[in-house]
Amino acid sequence: MTDTLLFKDIDEPGLNTLAVYEARGGYESLRRALKMTPSEVLAQLEASGLRGRGGAGFQMGKKVSFLPQGSMNKYLVCNADESEPGTFKDRELMQKNPHLLIEGIVIAAHAAGADRSFIYIRGEYELQADILEAALAEADEAGYLGERILGTEHSCTLVLHRGAGAYICGEETGLLDSLEGKRGNPRLKPPFPANQGLYQGPTLINNVETLSTVPAIVQMGGEQYAKLGVQTSTGTKLVSVSGHVQRPGNYEIELGVPSREIIYDLAGGPPPGSEIKCWFPGGSSSPVLTADDLDVPYDFDSMAKAGSMLGSGAIIVVDDATPIVELALKVAMFYRHESCGKCTPCREGTNWTVKMLQRIDSGEATPMDLDIMASVQDHIIGNCLCVLGDAMAMPIGSMIAKFRGEFEQHIEAARASAELTLAPVPDDERVLAQEAG
Amino acid sequence: MPRPEPRTITFTIDGREVQAPENAMLVDAAKHGDVEIPVFCYEPKLGNPVGACRMCLVEIEGIGKLQTGCSTPVKDGMVVHTQSDRVKEAQRSVVEFLLINHPLDCPVCDKGGECPLQDISFGWGGGISRFIEPKRHFVKPLELSPTIAIDRERCILCYRCVRFSQEVAEDYQLVLLERGAHSFVSTFDGHPYIAPFSGNIIELCPVGALTSRSYRFRARPWDIEDAGSVCTLCPAQCNVQLTVRDERVMRVLSRENDEVDDGWLCDHGRFAYPALARGEQSGPAEPVAPIEVLHVDPAAERNGDEEATPDSEDTSQPSIAAPAVANGDANSVHLGMRISEPLLRDGGELRPVSWERALDEAAVLLKRAGNATAALAGSGATNEEGFLLSRLLSETLGSAHVDSRANGALPSELHRELADPRLQAKVSDLEFAHGVLLLDCDPVIDAPILDLRLRKGVRRHAMKLERVAGGDLDELRETAMRLSEAGEELVIVWGERFASGAAGAERARALLDLAAELSLADTAGAGLLEIPATSNGRGLREAGVLPNCGPGLSDAEADGLDARAIAAALTAGELSALYLLEVDPLSANDPFAASADGDHDAWAGALERASGVVAHATLLSPGLAEHANVIFPAGSYAEKEGTVTHPDGRLQRVRRAVAEAGATRPGWRVIAELSLRLGSDLDVYTDKEASQQLFDAVPFYSGLTLEEIGGRGVRWQEREDVAVAVGGGDSERKGEATTAAESAVDDSYTQSRPGAQTPPSSEAHSGADRDTHAADTQTEGEDSTGGDPSQSGGERT
Repeated sequence: MTDTLLFKDIDEPGLNTLAVYEARGGYESLRRALKMTPSEVLAQLEASGLRGRGGAGFQMGKKVSFLPQGSMNKYLVCNADESEPGTFKDRELMQKNPHLLIEGIVIAAHAAGADRSFIYIRGEYELQADILEAALAEADEAGYLGERILGTEHSCTLVLHRGAGAYICGEETGLLDSLEGKRGNPRLKPPFPANQGLYQGPTLINNVETLSTVPAIVQMGGEQYAKLGVQTSTGTKLVSVSGHVQRPGNYEIELGVPSREIIYDLAGGPPPGSEIKCWFPGGSSSPVLTADDLDVPYDFDSMAKAGSMLGSGAIIVVDDATPIVELALKVAMFYRHESCGKCTPCREGTNWTVKMLQRIDSGEATPMDLDIMASVQDHIIGNCLCVLGDAMAMPIGSMIAKFRGEFEQHIEAARASAELTLAPVPDDERVLAQEAG
Repeated sequence: MPRPEPRTITFTIDGREVQAPENAMLVDAAKHGDVEIPVFCYEPKLGNPVGACRMCLVEIEGIGKLQTGCSTPVKDGMVVHTQSDRVKEAQRSVVEFLLINHPLDCPVCDKGGECPLQDISFGWGGGISRFIEPKRHFVKPLELSPTIAIDRERCILCYRCVRFSQEVAEDYQLVLLERGAHSFVSTFDGHPYIAPFSGNIIELCPVGALTSRSYRFRARPWDIEDAGSVCTLCPAQCNVQLTVRDERVMRVLSRENDEVDDGWLCDHGRFAYPALARGEQSGPAEPVAPIEVLHVDPAAERNGDEEATPDSEDTSQPSIAAPAVANGDANSVHLGMRISEPLLRDGGELRPVSWERALDEAAVLLKRAGNATAALAGSGATNEEGFLLSRLLSETLGSAHVDSRANGALPSELHRELADPRLQAKVSDLEFAHGVLLLDCDPVIDAPILDLRLRKGVRRHAMKLERVAGGDLDELRETAMRLSEAGEELVIVWGERFASGAAGAERARALLDLAAELSLADTAGAGLLEIPATSNGRGLREAGVLPNCGPGLSDAEADGLDARAIAAALTAGELSALYLLEVDPLSANDPFAASADGDHDAWAGALERASGVVAHATLLSPGLAEHANVIFPAGSYAEKEGTVTHPDGRLQRVRRAVAEAGATRPGWRVIAELSLRLGSDLDVYTDKEASQQLFDAVPFYSGLTLEEIGGRGVRWQEREDVAVAVGGGDSERKGEATTAAESAVDDSYTQSRPGAQTPPSSEAHSGADRDTHAADTQTEGEDSTGGDPSQSGGERT
């Protein structure tokens, strides 16, 4: 990888301190950005084509431009909840290079006209939060934060807020509610946060990685940045590779490289003797892909075309020794546990799916149950208040579609072993159950 | 504050073009085309939609995903499908999801038959369930509060009750605990949900999860009849729908009328209905099956069965709260018992007697006292009853000592000025005003439902709210001025007690001056709103139950004594008989109890000295038990037919829902029969005649019909002939505002009065005289007596 932007100096000892960061050219982008007008910075962001790195992949420049003009309280919120299973890129960024994030936030706040900003960090990231706190104190001391930054008109306060460990608080509106001190439930959209976000004010919400990319864009220019990657997926991306690979970890890649390159060349592929059964290209909420899809370029549009999504850029590799039912159950249980319960399809659908998968595993299901389960996933997708329901339904649905044979085998095998080990189910109950099914 | 003025747009729904107000939510807009989109969580009264239940998913052309109809504002040219296969499947799936954990125990569920979940399952559901796994279980039912049982298994987590608690009543007690499929509704700390408006959540619940403990298992929807009426337990006069089974009121529900109550009820109005029941059943209610308690306080457990929750104490119905019982009053053992036959004091004891005997005895007492009779009318009395009472006193007995205000009279012209139609704020103004000043009143006690309206104004329209109490006129002025900076639409809500007592007239004048200074009369959406001390205080006054005013606040023939003076005169022996129309001045909760400057003994002495006390009462309260000679059973509001007048001037009909308890007769009929026995025919033989007489006698009610009042009521200030009369006196200049408006009212009194023969009294009421003191007023009143009463007398006979 030639063009590393975010991980350029990532292994430099002491990069988390202001002195080392400045010695490596830190806060130069901020100085440059503050000499520009907000609209000039915004123009650079729009030219860069930078898409959000949190999961939805919405163009950041466009998001900033949606904020209403005028003097009102505007907010910038950095989503550092990083709760998608398999994702750990923001953790490394914040732990090793906190000032990059701070610099990115101040520049983005300048572009958005926001003078109050927040980092909502997940509660489990205690170490990273401590490091960020220390970095914030340093940045504040050095005048990179607060009133009249570096003697300019731009002011920006930055508050670090620790979450309490709910997946749903990584959803932007759930995050806002949580930040306001309420129960973290997603809000109805519209209104979108750009219009009515935190405390009903216009709010820009971006992921840690997105905001950390901003200094590089200011430094190299938006157009130059756009030359990286492919047409609609510009720049570099941090990829968290985990699961059955020999060298799991975070890698910075240029968007558009073949997925095989990431999984095999960078992460070393599955351990010897095992093959890839399936892989999640963008966290556990993305539909699974199989070994046949390894040559799909790793960028937003190619992934969408392949029937999945880039998501947060977390590749989870599953080898052929893993039973698909077990994988599905694990995923479904996570989302059932994390469903906030506000909307019906997600609350009941995740619960029902888990119960059905458990039934399959305990030998109390028939292949007909697979049809029910598939249709339940269809009924969840697109019908929920936020995307949490989809986050379970999409991978589960894709697993049933792609590994139906294995599900059926599992059902038959589990039934056979249940009949050997368990007392037989009374006939009348079974008849009732089948009628109901 | 600007009221919403929606533009009408055209959109297409299911292939038909439909006109609807722009930006109405699709669910509402669809109704304009007779299309029903099913909803559970959507309830506009609760504020912004939350889109939680997903039942209302519809397809909108140009938008990929299905959208929730409850949260999508309709736009011109929008094309909506509610019957496409995609929509049907989505709606069917939501019903299926909702029923996964629902116990489907409809045959034993109170909600069965009137249950949105049931209806929607039939209408939009798939008819079968594919769910064969075990359902979620909770201990049930639990006592959410003394009045409400919660069944968490039936709950579909629609958030309505929680939103009500958080965003309407703002008591912040109900929350959803846990997460996902384990979520359940509870109070935050597990303590009972005790709040003044808690009962509304029962009605909001779209399933049988929240049920009324006193209604549980008492009736099924096919056993009951609905009867619309108006609750007269407090001045708020909320519109209600009584659930009647076998001539018994089983339940009180709200009957939506945005201009009165916004569709809410207070717990008192909702749960006090056992007191409305027929006599034989009005004792202690049948025991409610005990259920498991959510909380730790067993003492509170049984409260709600017969009484309102402690927070919603009644100020007007002495008999429901039971302070006298707590006092250990020997006579109060009957308290809480309905009187269902005439009672006569015989040998020191009250004994049931026949109507003939009771009427005869009352007639003897009153005849003996003659014009030394005084009368008070209070809480439950309708306009007609008040009107006939004042006729009984003035025409039959020749006494002017009749009062419906507890504490001192105001000069008659002050009454008129305060009733200036242009100065009257209406309830919905409380929501949209820039500022509201609460003057000597506490809405949550005096007229509870207004509390919710004020909260709505503050929450949704950033209305400013201030309170002033204690009659500090400087503070009043200062606060009003400060509030008026927020905007010109200022409403002053004032309690009757502000203009009561010795300083009453001076304060009322100050209030009027302040209103003139702020041009409240000339500002749309601004004005004064008085909360009377008794439920129908405004109506009784307008019907002429005042010592110095006849019907329509006209000057009385002769000034009588006000309530305070009546007490004094009775004690001094100058008056001998007292007629109490639903008043007991010795009952602690009766506004009249404070009428002798808070001196309980003054009324005790007065009743002691009175040679005859005749009363109409629903319940045997301590003063009556000890002092009344004759008690006529009075109907509760569920048994009455007549009109009442809301504090903002809205005439509303009280409709009979059940037959009178026992031998109870309508109040108007009792008064008419009594008058006949005293030698004067009031010429009233039906309740409609009583209403007609009232409408004919009060100039600004003139021409009204019961049909026009209907189920929603009519504000007399908004009626056409009054508007015309006011239009004549239109004045832009601040200083003249009051004067002009007042003379307009004066004109309307006389011009619209049928059979008016003498010239209008507006000359006597010229602007110069208006600032005079009470003494002058009396003279003025005497001057103008020649006209008014003689006219009305002539017209009646």
